[in-house]
Amino acid sequence: MSEKDVSKAEAEEIRIGVYVCHCGLNIAGSVDCAEVAEFASTLPHVVLAKDLRYTCSDQGQEIIKQDIKEHRLNRVVVASCSPRLHEPTFRKVCEEAGLNKYLFEMANIREHCSWVHLYNRKAATEKAKDLVKMAVMRAALLQPAVESEVPIRPEALVIGGGVAGIQAALDLADTGYHVYLVEKEPSIGGRMAQIDKTFPTMDCSICILAPKMSDVGHHPNITLLTYSEILDVKGYIGNFKVKVLKKPRYVTSDCTACGECAKVCPMIAPNEFDVGLAIRHAIYTPFAQAVPSTYVIDRELCLNKEGVIVCDKCTKACERQAINFEMKPEEIELEVGTIIVAIGADVFDPSIIPQYGYGRYPNVITSLEFERLINAGGPSGGKLLRPSDMQIPKTVAFVQCVGSRSEKTGKPYCSNVCCMNTIKDALLIKEHWPETQIYVFYVDIRAFGKGFEDLYRRARKEGVIFIRGLPAEIVEDKQTRDLWLIGENTLQKKLYRIRVGMVILSVGLEPRKETDLIQRLLTLSRSKDGFFMEAHPKLRPVDAATGGIFFAGCAESPKDIKDSVTQASAAAARAGILMAKGKVTVEALTPIWIPEKCQACGLCVKVCPYNAIKLDKERKKIEIIEAACAGCGTCGAECPFGALVMRHFTDEQIIAQIDAATEVDADKKIIAFCCNWCSYAGADFAGVSRIQYPENVRIIRTMCSGRVAPKFVERAFARGAAAVLVSGCHLGDCHYINANYQTKKRVERLWKKMEKAGLNKERLQLVWVSAAEGEKFAAKIREMQPIVESVTPEEIEKAKEVFQKALEL
Amino acid sequence: MPVRIWRKPLDAEKAKPPCGEIHILKDLCKGCGYCIEFCPRDVLEKSEEINKRGVHPPRVADESRCVVCSFCTAVCPDFAIFVIEKPCEGGR
Ligand SMILES: Cc1cc2nc3c(=O)[nH]c(=O)nc-3n(C[C@H](O)[C@H](O)[C@H](O)COP(=O)(O)OP(=O)(O)OC[C@H]3O[C@@H](n4cnc5c(N)ncnc54)[C@H](O)[C@@H]3O)c2cc1C
Ligand code: SF4
Ligand code: SF4
Ligand code: SF4
Ligand code: SF4
Repeated sequence: MSEKDVSKAEAEEIRIGVYVCHCGLNIAGSVDCAEVAEFASTLPHVVLAKDLRYTCSDQGQEIIKQDIKEHRLNRVVVASCSPRLHEPTFRKVCEEAGLNKYLFEMANIREHCSWVHLYNRKAATEKAKDLVKMAVMRAALLQPAVESEVPIRPEALVIGGGVAGIQAALDLADTGYHVYLVEKEPSIGGRMAQIDKTFPTMDCSICILAPKMSDVGHHPNITLLTYSEILDVKGYIGNFKVKVLKKPRYVTSDCTACGECAKVCPMIAPNEFDVGLAIRHAIYTPFAQAVPSTYVIDRELCLNKEGVIVCDKCTKACERQAINFEMKPEEIELEVGTIIVAIGADVFDPSIIPQYGYGRYPNVITSLEFERLINAGGPSGGKLLRPSDMQIPKTVAFVQCVGSRSEKTGKPYCSNVCCMNTIKDALLIKEHWPETQIYVFYVDIRAFGKGFEDLYRRARKEGVIFIRGLPAEIVEDKQTRDLWLIGENTLQKKLYRIRVGMVILSVGLEPRKETDLIQRLLTLSRSKDGFFMEAHPKLRPVDAATGGIFFAGCAESPKDIKDSVTQASAAAARAGILMAKGKVTVEALTPIWIPEKCQACGLCVKVCPYNAIKLDKERKKIEIIEAACAGCGTCGAECPFGALVMRHFTDEQIIAQIDAATEVDADKKIIAFCCNWCSYAGADFAGVSRIQYPENVRIIRTMCSGRVAPKFVERAFARGAAAVLVSGCHLGDCHYINANYQTKKRVERLWKKMEKAGLNKERLQLVWVSAAEGEKFAAKIREMQPIVESVTPEEIEKAKEVFQKALEL
Repeated sequence: MPVRIWRKPLDAEKAKPPCGEIHILKDLCKGCGYCIEFCPRDVLEKSEEINKRGVHPPRVADESRCVVCSFCTAVCPDFAIFVIEKPCEGGR
């Protein structure tokens, strides 16, 4: 043998080192670690096995490093705590000793063993051996991998020009990145531009917002695209290609906003900005401080239809000749590295609650209409006028939680700003018209923020009357147009009937209607309430699950201005980190395509939650976009031809674990597949909480439950397993957007198959477990115990027969 | 659901489109129908009547819709129609 051949043979010889950790007494207290290490040394490819007191300590790490060098180890297995805790630590140890980090494997004998089987040392030790065996068999098949790098374009797109989008754009632009700010309305500003004063400081809203708006307009690093819509988004983190439709304003930037045109325009309509309380012309600017200040022509309203110029009044009135009916819609293509979604929130339409009479009784208004009425620049010049008779009301009632905290309206969540907004409004009324009698009907007053309680106290001191219990009904006096509020005071358990001159419904916030579109274009997830869902509620609160995309403001959940701005700066910083680095590494968990096996059926394309696979039907090809792939493995589980090899979670590796777990006493065991993010973490949490459950379960970790191919389940049964458990994140909470719907579909298919073959389908269980539901996981294992115990040898044999084919893989 | 616009604007009385008084010189009309076709507010329609030139001149269908853009005057090749602004009354 030449020297070269020897080194090659050696390189191919698999040399595994196994380290069984005592974790002080955390593991050693209920598992005989020395016995487990002893057992490990008898396993194939294992060249050394040690038990260490604290493997993660510096000394422990040193021992591993030395062994790797001295014993030429090319795989390392540590049996200790959860990989969710220390996998990164030990991977680093391997790398420092010159071993590729993908050649490291962990057996979780603490959270999944010693802690959940505190009182049966023998059974716990046996289980630990099994877990180590599974890890060793998998380790033997691990392959080194290089993580690929994706460049990040140092330009950002901000969608939505409310206060959140404005702040995010300014922060990024000030850092030095070029930003495109896309706003669908003719002006930026969002809701904050509509409101009069802001709680808790009672600042004038537009006064503090307008300077920021004009900064956006003038910033050399910001390209402002107003009156524009996102048409399409392609690409992935670092390299998004975005198509934007810039609608024609029919007024060029020569416009000086003198307003002469609007004076002569014969056409009028309600101004949306004023919630329809004031009129605008066909040529208009939504409000005086609009940015850009350039006027816009509403062609739906304008007398000039496509191709025919009937009216030239504005054209004639405009000295600057800024009006141009020839303008066409423009499609603009942007290339950006990061995207911040700041599309804000709509307000609830209370006319769906008929008892409150909104839309029928003129003097019932919403809190948003109130903002326009109390605003000195608004339609009534700052006077709170009753729409019925243009008189200032002597008594006013606020009704809280309209479209919030109610299952009936489909809005069970709290809208966060309405309580404080009402208190602010009440104080504003008191300021202008101190004699006004004000009632606030509420469920709870939530004055949780800085300075909020003070404001609440002030309102009470000024004589605002707070009554607990929302009115059941509002009835109008036909003559005076006054309103009767009828309901129960739940503190005094007394009925009330109160007459007021005006009712203000404190309406909740709800997702913008554009949320659907943006969700689809950017492949985002949403929470139950319909707002966008963050990657992690505590630790990644502004990141989307999809790489390179961030949230700011009310798009993510209802919040006040301060929180919107805080979040916007956070989102800008997060996007900035990516762009400053200039690249991201993609974990080597992406699929490898085997062209010879692929039939170009396109099934993988359909199940990928990230649109990371493209099908070229003609050339019988697929293309995997690594940067977009999140590594869930759903495609690998779907491909009927084995044409996709999931790196680090290959079929062979998973099957090796199944086989190792079913080698002895398979008929007494549950093979469980748990997804990394929820159910595996849930099982970890059961351990942390020391929740005890039967020892017979063997957990195999996949990144997503979507990776669990039916053949894995079949293989477990074919190897004689008593039961199989598939578990993942709750539907709608999947870490990979919606991949677990594939899991559900596949398990349902397997149930049908089992039923048809005369097998007890109870032997296959499916459960959704969140990372916090340790008890739910444990309960499921307990619940499965009688199923395992009652399985007869005949049933085991029958399943082996039915799924025999699964052994061929 | 986005904000619903349903009220009559508070300043609707103050800012009304101008109101027009339409004068049709029936016998000058040659029946080309341009005014009817091009009126952006659909104020005019063809009448049954036959004029001196043997054609159907236009008639006013709904004067209250006229906003005095005077395009009818502009397009009429035979100067058969003109509009003057008048004080608005009643409904608008
Ligand atoms: C009646 C009322 C009173 C309030 N009073 C206060 C107060 O006193 N103090 C306080 O702190 N907070 C108050 N708030 C809350 C405050 O308005 C919000 O916190 C703030 O406006 C959130 O800003 P945002 O940028 O997230 O969203 P928004 O202000 O809603 O802005 C979002 C922007 O995105 C644009 N957009 C939407 N979809 C798209 C799309 N597809 N493409 C492009 N652009 C899009 C919208 O046109 C809008 O300009 C109040 C809210 C209401 C409704
Ligand atoms: S062309 Fe006439 S109707 Fe159209 S915006 Fe100008 S003035 Fe108004
Ligand atoms: S299905 Fe999952 S693993 Fe496959 S390409 Fe899509 S994101 Fe990547
Ligand atoms: S599912 Fe498999 S065979 Fe079908 S297109 Fe995808 S890789 Fe090819
Ligand atoms: S003035 Fe204008 S709106 Fe009035 S009838 Fe003539 S074309 Fe129609």
